Amino acid sequence: MTLTTDIPGTLPDETTHGWSIGTDVGGTFTDLWLRSPSGESYVCKSPTTADVVTGVVNAVHLAADLAGLGTQELCAKVQRFGHGTTVGLNALLTGRSAKTGLITTRGFGDVLEIGRLRRGTASLKGMDLGDYFLRGQVPPLVPRELVVEVNERVDANGNVLTPLDLASVEQAAEILKAEGVEAVAICLLWATERPEHEQAVAEVVARILPEAFLSMSHVIAPSVGEYARASTTTANAALGPIAGHYLLKLERELRELGMTAPIMMTTSAGGVVPAAAITSSPVNGLLSGPASCVVAGQSLGKEQGLPNILTMDVGGTSFDVGVVVQGVPLLREAVTFGGADMRVPSVDIASVGAGGGSIASVDGGILSVGPRSAGATPGPVCYGKGGTEPTTTDADLVLGVLDPEAFSSGGIILDRDAAARAIEEQVGRPLGLNAVEAARAIRMVFDTTMSDLLRSVTIERGHDPREFTLVAGGGSGPSHAWALCRELGMEGFLVPATATAQSAYGAGTSDLKTTSSRTSYIRLSSGLTPQAEHAQTLAHALASTSTAVLDSVPDPDHATLTHSAAVRYHGQANHLDVYLPQAPNAGDVTQMLSRFEADYELLFGAGAGFREAGFEILSVRSIASRSTPAQPSASNGELFEELGVRQVVFEDPDVPEATRIYSCRWPAGGQTVFGPCLINLPGCVVVVPPNGSAATDDAGVIHVKVGIL
Amino acid sequence: MSTLNLNDAPAISTAFSGTDAVTAQIVRSRLVAITDQMRVALQSVSGSPTVTEASDFFTGLYLPDGSFATMGHQVTFEAPPVGALIRHLLSSNMKLRDGDRIIGNDPFIGALHQNDVQMCAPLVVDGEIIAWAGVMAHETDMGGMDFASWSPKAKEIWQEGLRIPAVKLVDGGELRQDVLDMILAATRLPAQVGLDIRAFIATLNVASERLTELCHRYGTDVIQGVMVSMVADSEQRMRQRLLEIPDGVVHTRDFLEHDGHTDKLYTVDLVATKKGDSLHLDFSGSSPQAQGFVNCSRAGLMGGVAGALIPTLGFGLPWNDGLLRPVEVSAPDRLICTAMAPAPVGSATVETIWVVSNVVSAALNRLLLATPEHAQRAQGVSSGTMATFNLSGINQYGEKFGLHLMDPLAGGFGAFNAHDGQDAAGPINAPCPSIADVEVNEQKTPLVYQYRRLAQDTGGAGRRRGGVAAEVSLTVSIPEAEALVMTHGVEVPNSTGLSGGLPGGTIAQWFAPGFLNRNDPSAELNDSLTVPGGFTDLGSKPGAFPMRDTDVFAVTWQGGGGIGDPLDRDPADVLADVRRGVVSVDAAFQTYGVDLIDARTGRPTGWDATATAATRRGIRAQRLGVAAETLPLEASPVGPEIAPAGLEAGERWLPLGDRLRAIVSDSGEWRVQTLSGAVLSTGSTKWREGAVRYELPLPERVGRSLHRDLAVVGWLCPVSGALLAVDIHLVAEEPFHDLDLDLGSDITVGLALNTKEN
Repeated sequence: MTLTTDIPGTLPDETTHGWSIGTDVGGTFTDLWLRSPSGESYVCKSPTTADVVTGVVNAVHLAADLAGLGTQELCAKVQRFGHGTTVGLNALLTGRSAKTGLITTRGFGDVLEIGRLRRGTASLKGMDLGDYFLRGQVPPLVPRELVVEVNERVDANGNVLTPLDLASVEQAAEILKAEGVEAVAICLLWATERPEHEQAVAEVVARILPEAFLSMSHVIAPSVGEYARASTTTANAALGPIAGHYLLKLERELRELGMTAPIMMTTSAGGVVPAAAITSSPVNGLLSGPASCVVAGQSLGKEQGLPNILTMDVGGTSFDVGVVVQGVPLLREAVTFGGADMRVPSVDIASVGAGGGSIASVDGGILSVGPRSAGATPGPVCYGKGGTEPTTTDADLVLGVLDPEAFSSGGIILDRDAAARAIEEQVGRPLGLNAVEAARAIRMVFDTTMSDLLRSVTIERGHDPREFTLVAGGGSGPSHAWALCRELGMEGFLVPATATAQSAYGAGTSDLKTTSSRTSYIRLSSGLTPQAEHAQTLAHALASTSTAVLDSVPDPDHATLTHSAAVRYHGQANHLDVYLPQAPNAGDVTQMLSRFEADYELLFGAGAGFREAGFEILSVRSIASRSTPAQPSASNGELFEELGVRQVVFEDPDVPEATRIYSCRWPAGGQTVFGPCLINLPGCVVVVPPNGSAATDDAGVIHVKVGIL
Repeated sequence: MSTLNLNDAPAISTAFSGTDAVTAQIVRSRLVAITDQMRVALQSVSGSPTVTEASDFFTGLYLPDGSFATMGHQVTFEAPPVGALIRHLLSSNMKLRDGDRIIGNDPFIGALHQNDVQMCAPLVVDGEIIAWAGVMAHETDMGGMDFASWSPKAKEIWQEGLRIPAVKLVDGGELRQDVLDMILAATRLPAQVGLDIRAFIATLNVASERLTELCHRYGTDVIQGVMVSMVADSEQRMRQRLLEIPDGVVHTRDFLEHDGHTDKLYTVDLVATKKGDSLHLDFSGSSPQAQGFVNCSRAGLMGGVAGALIPTLGFGLPWNDGLLRPVEVSAPDRLICTAMAPAPVGSATVETIWVVSNVVSAALNRLLLATPEHAQRAQGVSSGTMATFNLSGINQYGEKFGLHLMDPLAGGFGAFNAHDGQDAAGPINAPCPSIADVEVNEQKTPLVYQYRRLAQDTGGAGRRRGGVAAEVSLTVSIPEAEALVMTHGVEVPNSTGLSGGLPGGTIAQWFAPGFLNRNDPSAELNDSLTVPGGFTDLGSKPGAFPMRDTDVFAVTWQGGGGIGDPLDRDPADVLADVRRGVVSVDAAFQTYGVDLIDARTGRPTGWDATATAATRRGIRAQRLGVAAETLPLEASPVGPEIAPAGLEAGERWLPLGDRLRAIVSDSGEWRVQTLSGAVLSTGSTKWREGAVRYELPLPERVGRSLHRDLAVVGWLCPVSGALLAVDIHLVAEEPFHDLDLDLGSDITVGLALNTKEN
């Protein structure tokens, strides 16, 4: 079965003043961001529905209301529709993906079972790693019965050791046919060096199983290492039929609303691609939500003239951090989801299980916050939906940070007394604290967990956090950012008006970006310098990645092409992507190695590199991008409305501070308020601590300075 | 381990309450984060695959006296050594100052063997050592008579590589290049060792800087107080856990064959006495030290004990020295597990230390099984050995190379009472095991694999099956290299089971010179589950031999031990095993007694319930030597949670196995009976007195080549013929009672015994 959506011949010209929409489907809410041609922005949220598409359509109706237009009227004017969704991730995690078979090289059919021994501990974090009884909870992506082997073998240099036995392929395909698979993944050893065997297998499978969705490993995850390559290819195959159906349906429904703009899908690498590209390689969109959030921070940085950005997103269950250095988000190749190692180019996101729903508990006199979460159901105690264990949200309520009656404008009245009772009983008593002291203790442990993660992605990687600007997002981000800034010695942080819908904003504004990579292994033993033949090998590889990447861009003439190589010191674990020209000569390769060494020292400390060990060049990558033109921002903002004064605990639990409360849907520029104060935005509260201040600009961004303690 | 005297430590408040408790938690969290940052620093810089791929290293923060307050989730054998190095320094006259970095690798001080290079750094504030940071990792070669510093030929420790007792490598912040040059001159892999030593220093620098920052922020007293309280908390919680377990004596034994010179069998014997909140481990019954390199020093013994104890009893607790404090270890000098010079100890980690860990695991799991609260997590022994495959020579890039294959970590996990053991899960000493991809190994090193797959029928059979091991077949892509092959566990089923579960499969090592010159050799290899013609059985320790690019080496590792009689396994589970290929059709019938439908197609579709019940009864009758009709068709569920039938009012019970129950009457009289109602002993838990002894034949993959000094006995329920226990014992000695609970009055007072109702 092959599914295609229309590939537009050219991208919409966003320089003419069309409306832009960005949408992001999360587990609980579907977020939408909307910008008018004159630069006025809106955000709204609609509950995510079981079929997903309905939730997106509902959000579009809401957005039209906000903009004061009819839905058809708005849709007709939309020139860009960016979309990100966790549909694929959920399907993978809940096993609702397509029934998939895997074809491997003979002798290696247990690749997913053995899983480099890493699958057994994949779902475990922290102290749970020490509890072996919990191991092995993640099954292989496909059961062993659906893995079939074919006779063939290629070696590391691409030489054929055993020719492909077509009869064994037919037999394999017949077995999968009898099992009734809907999708087939093909991952043969060293297909990266000689793809012909995979291609020949695909032809046979396409003949015997004409309806099946096919994925070949040398296309989906062209990197050395068969476990991650097989996992990625298998996940891609399993998601293929689902992604295809979903996108067809979404496109049909949006067309019915009168939308003609093509759907641009967000990817894990940050950026958007035409929907057709995601249809054939849905695995590239798996972690698109968090990636869009980092990209949103990146574009905010671009608008503000700030090259170094730390993005933080505090949702219900996790705290995610992205790092943008010199305007570019850090990327990584290897990610883990569904318990499997995958090779998907992704924005590097550090994450820890601490969020608004994280449960605080005392065990053996030790207070811990997370990783267990009360989630959306039953949720924090104060929601009154059956939650009995205190969460960080309950603590924030008890400390006075949250307004019981205005929380998230979701119509829920928060039960402060129930929250205080739960905190006092379950945290206070074991530690000898009253409810407020215990709530502050919860907040401090929560903030420490977050600042430890921020520290690990900055200081421990050679970055000085004081040279970065923190962009706070998510429901709890803007209310905790002040404490993290003080902990890390940062002056302050930014809160965009889209803080609770950063991923949707990213989906609406990201650059078009596609990538293509391939292996190109060069071993430079100690003391050897790059030669012309090495440069030729790289140039040859880059020629093919360049062609591939330009083929996937709708408008190649306007795309910018950049190239890099993955380099490491021989034997070491970390590689870095280093810039390389498209047709390098030996001198260019030497320069690339120098850049690698300089970057390496910067990241891992002086003396960390060891050129005596020699170098390894692993692969090359080409990236085609077309940037989204900057939009004028017009302030459609409002002045802060002062709601009154509330007692809020900052440092001393016995001495709460009289704190002014402001409220605003979208702040107008030119306003300054002083701490201690709280600013209620839709879905979040910005906390400005004592001695701090907050100023707004014309883009609706709140600049908070945390001041001296 | 319990000998630390905290009275010498400065008086530090360890009681935190109120807001102090919050600060303490924040400091704790920072200390754990620093420990993880040490891991990151080490893994970023190191060039050893043992570090970057397999996490065979240790990072931790230590109290002034050398107790570790934090450790990463890394190889648990390696928990004690750096502390021993620190204690050695404290007892020496070496003057220590801030910025010192001390290196050591002496097995008679703290190292497991010379490959384990350790470094530590004192953190000095106002002239006083307030804490230490420590790091260690396995180096592939530290010199000696053979590559990899372990040689089957060695008869003396001086032949095995450089020994560094405790030397300042960095003196007050200044690297001593002369010392470093001396160390690097001793190794065959100076680039790799040099890079790793650089990584150690970077790791200690990170720890030192972060600890100093923390002291400035919160005060040295607070940091020290928190570190002391972390250890005290874990000790207290470990003691609490021990109190939950019944008092008694457990006797376990494991063996290892071949000392590099002769195929002699060595015994590691453990008598574990658990009383109240403490545990005494006595290894006095072990064999005298060997002539060859399989021994371990007393430091190694401590490593082996910690390696099993930490994960087996430390679940849910922060891992630090406190877990080891309730434990006392005793054994005279010059045993195989307390070897003294001149005994070589090169392969200690994978030989005696590993076997020490097996007997500790086996003993502790017998106690967990007898604890209703924890019975479900009682586990068979996991991958009872780690077979070594080393290769050295000139690689495909023209460089001198040496590799220490980590794939042998892929043994099977022991079964748990609640669920099967994981396939290819690794040993219990590795909390985060990992092996490299086949492709990565083939790219970096001159290896070419014919297969890497799960090894059928290597999981110990049982109601819960032990995980199967993996197996590989490989050759080299260069004309010739030198291989070093050695292991134990070819002739000893080390991965023993529990409750009548069978041991996991043993190691098989094969070699076929010139095999790849044949027609279509890979098909021949793959078609055959048993090794094809032309292969020689290498036994356990063939040592070093040349390997050419037409030769094939094939090895199967040990699976995990099973739990419960295999005839009690749910036929649905057996069907799933056969469909996955981890159990053969033959084993399904012969070992598990399951009649599968469409078995010969390789994809059976179900089982015949009536035939299966009859087959199983037939096997049980055959064991007892009676006619099948005289036995009941067993259908009732078994397992440690099942209450025995026919309890009198007021009677309470503990599970001793799937079918064994220790029952105490209202008036305090004890008996052990099976679920079928046979009373095996009264007044003690020495239930073998009343069980039927049976010469149990082991399946091919388990008992293929049992050592001539070993024998196997199965113990049966006289009523049902169900297997209650499997003992592997010395031919020269009778099997012994493995569990003798202290049935005094305390057991009924302190423990949560099951009652009739639950």
